[in-house]
Amino acid sequence: MSDPLPREDAPRIPELMEELHDLTCNLRSALERFRFDARLNDLAEKEMPDARQRLSHVLKLTDEAAHRTLDLVEQSCPPAERTAREAAELAESWTRFRARNISVEEFRALLTRMDSFLACARTDSDTVRANLAQVLLAQGYQDLTGQIIRGVMTLVSEVETTLAELTRLARGEPATDASLAPAGEGRRDVGPVVPGVNPQVAVVSDQQGVDDLLSDLGM
Amino acid sequence: MSKEMKFLVVDDYSTMRRIVKNLLHDLGYAQVQEADDGNTALPMLKTGGFDFLITDWNMPGMPGLDLLKAVRSDDKLAKLPVLMLTAEAKREQIVEAAQAGVNGYVIKPFTAATLKEKIDKILESRASG
Repeated sequence: MSDPLPREDAPRIPELMEELHDLTCNLRSALERFRFDARLNDLAEKEMPDARQRLSHVLKLTDEAAHRTLDLVEQSCPPAERTAREAAELAESWTRFRARNISVEEFRALLTRMDSFLACARTDSDTVRANLAQVLLAQGYQDLTGQIIRGVMTLVSEVETTLAELTRLARGEPATDASLAPAGEGRRDVGPVVPGVNPQVAVVSDQQGVDDLLSDLGM
Repeated sequence: MSKEMKFLVVDDYSTMRRIVKNLLHDLGYAQVQEADDGNTALPMLKTGGFDFLITDWNMPGMPGLDLLKAVRSDDKLAKLPVLMLTAEAKREQIVEAAQAGVNGYVIKPFTAATLKEKIDKILESRASG
């Protein structure tokens, strides 16, 4: 058992208790600060550069999708215009035929042109239709970029929370109950693979990789 | 299975649901309904008489893997063909989906030909099995 305080120190007990309380508060504050400092360090060194890489990939995907769409629209205009032009020219002869105002020679020429138009219109329509299907698929970038942006938004929100907590601690205020996700958690570890951002686990590079893996599994 | 079969497309992105729906229409499947996550999809599946499920993985609410597990553990839905259409490309996730009973797995971005090939393959194996 420890020795009791000498009688002459008894008046200092409240003072000592206050000092002890201050020490405890400082220690808790230092521990909290260390926790946020460590997380901020991790965010600054690893996750912010990753986020920059992710946003750069988003730019690339949107750029590619926009150009792909524009290319397909540009490729679709000539066949669509050709069909419209041919149809307008044929309509003129057709109207005269319906009005019985056409010579035999002109009627024969009309039939030949009609045969050619029908074959051409079919090919051109198929081309435009195929291009439209590609335009449709090109819009898939919105899903992929949306998932990446959502992940970066989670990160930004975490940086905001961490900085707010550090500011609070610097002012000598107690930390709040703000929770910190460990590195790589939350929605940032899901979603599309981003070139340059190393995933923590093995990924397949394309559909063939998926098919090979499933084949190995007996599917 | 005929072109009359009924599809449910589950994805939290409405753009992707529209893309898949249009591609299915191009393939001749006119009956396509949509849901934005597993929680919305599951009740639809239980009452809707669907013949084929195409689902994303990463969705808020109930993710696609949980939806797949729920489907496989439901007596009436257990044999429903399920195609996973997702950006998730981790090997362990693909293995997990296979172990949970997925019938096909397509990673985004994908082509119309891949989607057709996987649907046809699933339907052929169903027909012969």
